Amino acid sequence: MAESIDKQKRDLAALGTDYETKYGFRDPVDYFHKGARGLSHEVVEMISRMKKEPLWMTERRHEALDIFYSKPMPKWGNTGLLGEIDFDNIYYFMKPVEHQGKSWDDVPDYIKKTFDRLGIPEAEKTFLGGVSAQYESEVVYHSLREDLSKQGIIFLDMDAALREHEDLVKKFFGTVVPSADNKFAALNTAAWSGGSFIYVPPGVDVKVPLQAYFRINAENMGQFERTLIIADKGSRVHYIEGCTAPVYSTDSLHAAVVELIALEGSYVRYTTIQNWARNIYNLVTKRSTAHKNATVEWVDGNLGSRLTMKYPCIQLVGEGARGEILSVAFAGQDQHQDAGAKVIHAAPNTSSRITSKSISKDNGRASYRGLAKVHKNAVNVKISVECDALLIGKDARSDTYPTMEIDNEQVRVEHEARVSKVAEEQLFYLTSRGLSQDEARLLIVNGFMEPFTKELPLEYAVELNRLIQLEMEGSIG
Amino acid sequence: MSTVEIQQQRALELPATLGGGPGWLHRIRQSSLAVYNSTPLPRRGLHLWRYTDPSGFVVDDVDPAEIVFGSDQAAIDDEMVGQIAAGHLDGAVVDLGGRRICHHTSQRLAAMGGVVAPLSAALKSHEDLVKKHLYGLVHEQIGVFEALNGALWENGVFVYIPSDTIVDKPIHLRREAGAGRSRQFFRLLVIAGENSDVSIIDEYNGGPDDISKSGYSNSGVEIFAGHGSKIRYVPIGRQASGMTSYLTHRARLGRDAVMQTIPLAFGAALSKQNFGVLLSGPGARSEIYGLVFGSGRQRFDNHTLHHHISGQTGSNIDFKVVLRDRTESAYTGLIRIEQGAPGCEAYQENRNLLLNPGAKVETIPELEILNEDVMCTHGATVGSFDEEMVFYLTSRGLTYSDAVRTIVSGFVASTLKMVPENLHERIGAFVEKRLEGI
Repeated sequence: MAESIDKQKRDLAALGTDYETKYGFRDPVDYFHKGARGLSHEVVEMISRMKKEPLWMTERRHEALDIFYSKPMPKWGNTGLLGEIDFDNIYYFMKPVEHQGKSWDDVPDYIKKTFDRLGIPEAEKTFLGGVSAQYESEVVYHSLREDLSKQGIIFLDMDAALREHEDLVKKFFGTVVPSADNKFAALNTAAWSGGSFIYVPPGVDVKVPLQAYFRINAENMGQFERTLIIADKGSRVHYIEGCTAPVYSTDSLHAAVVELIALEGSYVRYTTIQNWARNIYNLVTKRSTAHKNATVEWVDGNLGSRLTMKYPCIQLVGEGARGEILSVAFAGQDQHQDAGAKVIHAAPNTSSRITSKSISKDNGRASYRGLAKVHKNAVNVKISVECDALLIGKDARSDTYPTMEIDNEQVRVEHEARVSKVAEEQLFYLTSRGLSQDEARLLIVNGFMEPFTKELPLEYAVELNRLIQLEMEGSIG
Repeated sequence: MSTVEIQQQRALELPATLGGGPGWLHRIRQSSLAVYNSTPLPRRGLHLWRYTDPSGFVVDDVDPAEIVFGSDQAAIDDEMVGQIAAGHLDGAVVDLGGRRICHHTSQRLAAMGGVVAPLSAALKSHEDLVKKHLYGLVHEQIGVFEALNGALWENGVFVYIPSDTIVDKPIHLRREAGAGRSRQFFRLLVIAGENSDVSIIDEYNGGPDDISKSGYSNSGVEIFAGHGSKIRYVPIGRQASGMTSYLTHRARLGRDAVMQTIPLAFGAALSKQNFGVLLSGPGARSEIYGLVFGSGRQRFDNHTLHHHISGQTGSNIDFKVVLRDRTESAYTGLIRIEQGAPGCEAYQENRNLLLNPGAKVETIPELEILNEDVMCTHGATVGSFDEEMVFYLTSRGLTYSDAVRTIVSGFVASTLKMVPENLHERIGAFVEKRLEGI
C-alpha cells in the first residue's frame, strides 16, 4: 500500500507540472476557414453549402435557427451564469483542413502534435476499435479496423455519414432530440458540425469499444457536435467519448446533441469523460430510446467547465427495456456542475437505475437534477435512484432536485440521497496509519468515486483518477 | 391543465368591515392587498407551483354576506367546553369562518397567565406583543396568496404562553367553513415564551359537499417558539369535498427550541399546504410527521421547508401519503442549510402508498446545502403494497380487504401515535372512514 501511495504521490507531482502542457496547451492554428462571429441564416447557409449538404438538412438548419431565436433562455438552473453567454460573440464554424485525413500520415503536423500529446495513436494501436478525433468542427482523422467494417459496422463522423449514408441519417436524425426540444438543441441543429455516427447491423456484437476524442482549441469557438448512434436489433456496442479543452481567457460554448437509438434486444453503452476548461459553458442534450428488451447505459463523468447542464435521458418505450445512468461530477472553484439523469418509463416491465456521485470543493456547486417518470400504462416498473454528495470546504454547495412523477400504482420507485463531508473518523484512521491529510482525503475521495471508476475502461479510469488527484491537490478542508 | 400565465389585473378592495383596529394594521392590510392586486400569479414550473394551477386560489370578489354553517355551532361549542371541564383540554376555540371566535380557557391555563383569545381582542389587550410578531413570518413577500390572507383575515386566533409555563393538555382550535358558497380567511398567531411547553390542534372542518358551490379557505399560521420551548402543532384538514383550501404555516425556533409539526390531511377537493420551520438558534430541532390520506378525486399539494439558519440545528421529516381511487398527491420538500450554519443534521423521507390504479403521485424532495459540515439524507419511495404481505395475511385467515386494511394501518401507525392522546380515537375514525370499502 505504501508503494502505491508513493506512486500516487509521484503521479500527483508530475501531473501538477505538466497540466498546462498536457491538457491546457494551445497550438497556434491556421484556420482554413474561419467564419464570422455570431449566428445568422447566412452563416447557417454557408455551413450547409460548404458541407454540400442535401436540401432537407439545409432546411432543417434554418428551421432550427428560427426555433433557437424564438425560444427564451431557460428560467431555471443557474440563470445568472446562463445570462452571461454572448451568442453573438461566438464563432459557429471553423474548418481546420480541407480534406479529412485517410491515415495518420495525411493529418497536418500541427494537429498531429495536439493528438500526439493526448496519446490518441497509442490508444488505437492497443485495443481501440476506431479513432475519430474532433479538432474544432470537423473530424480530421478517422479510422476503423478492417474487421469491424467487414461486419457492416458504420463508424464515421456525422458529416461523412450524411454524405455516404443519407437515408439512415435522414431516417433517425432529430427523432430522439427534436429541434424544438430546448433552446440549445435548436442551436445545435442549426449549427451542428462533426460528431460521430455509428450504425451497428442486426445481431453484430462490437467486441471493442469505439472511441472519439473531442477537443475545442480556439478561443470563442462554439462546438456543436452531433452524435447519432443506432444499434439495430440484437446488436451490442460500447462507444467512448472523452473531451479535454485548453484553458482560455474568454468564454466558450459547447452545445452538443447526442441521440442514441437501441432497437429491440440491443445493448448500448455510452461512456463520456469530460474535462472542460474552466471557462466553458457545457450545455448538452443527451437522450436515448430503448426499445423492447433493449439496454441503454450512460456512464457520464463531468469535470471542469464554468457551467455544465447535462441530464442524460433514457426513454424506455418497449416492454422489458432496461436503463442505467451512472454519473459523477466534480465542481471545483467557481464551477457549477448542474448534472443529473432522466428516466421516462412508457412501457410495462421496464426498469432503471440512476447512481449519481458529486464532489463540491472550495466554492464549487454540484446540483443533481433528475426526473423519474412512469406513464399510466407502464405497469411493473422498477426505478432506483441514488445520489451521493461529498462536500470539501466550508463554502462548497450541493443541491439535490429530484422529481418523481408516478402515474401508476404497480411500480416500485426508490430515491435516496446523502450529503456529507469527508468523515473525521475516516481521516483520523488513515492519518493514524501514517498518511498525510491530503493523502487520506484523496484516498477517501477515490473510494467515494469507485463505483463509477470501476465501470470505466482502464485508461479512462487512470485518467479520471489523475484528474481527480489534480483537482484535489492542496485541498485543505 | 393550462400553463398559460394569467396576468389579469385584480381589483379587490378592503371591505369596510375590516376598517377597525390600529392604524399600523390597516396600513399592512392595504399594502398586502396592493401586492395581491398587482402581483402576477406564480410561474408554473417553479417547484412550489409545478403541479397545481395557482389560478384555483384566486379571489376576485369578497362576499360580505353572512356565512351559513352546516354544522351545529352550539353543539360544537358545548363539546369543547365539556372537554375542558373533563380535563382533556386546556384551551378551546370555535372559529366560525374567521369571523366569530368562541374561546375558552381552562382555569389552570388562565391562572398561569396563558391567553387563548380572538386576535381582535389581543390587538387591544396585548397590542405591543401582537404588533411585534404579527406578519413576521407569513406576509406579502412570501407569496401572492399570503398577501391575500394578510389583507383579508377578519378575526384570527391568538395564543400566548408565558415563559416557563407547561400547558398539560392541548389547545384545540375548530375552524368551521360555511356550507354554501363562502370564503374564509383564517389566521393564527402563537407566541410561546422561553421554556414553555404547549400542544395546539388546529382542525379545519365544514364547507359545501358540492364543488360547484366553491367553498374557499385561506389560512395563515405564525408560530414563535422561544428559547428552550417545546411546541407541538397538529393541523388537521377535514374539510368537505366542495372545498378549496390553502394554508401557509411558518414557525421560528429559538435556541434549543423543539417543535413537532404533525399535518394530517384528509379533506377538501383541492388542498395546498405549505409548512415551514426556520431553525434560527443553535440547538433547535424540528420534526415534521405528515400524513395525507385521500379518496375519491381529491388533490393534495404539500410543501415542507426546513431552513437551517443557525448552526448546530437538527431536522427530520417523515411525510407519508396514502392514495386510493383517483386521488393525486404532489409533495415538494426543501431542506436548505445556510453557509453560516455548520454542524447541522437534516433528514427527510417521503413514502407514497398507492392502493389502486388511477392514483397519481409527484414527489420532489430537494436539498440545498451551502456548507460542508453537514449530515443530510433524504429518501422517497412510491409503490403499491407488497402482494407477498397480503398473501401472508390471507393465509392466516384474513380476507383480502382486511389484509390490505391491516397493511395500511401499519403504514400510518407511526405517524398517528405522534398526535396528542385525546385525538387518537378521533383520528383513528377518520382513517377507518378512508379505508371503507377497500
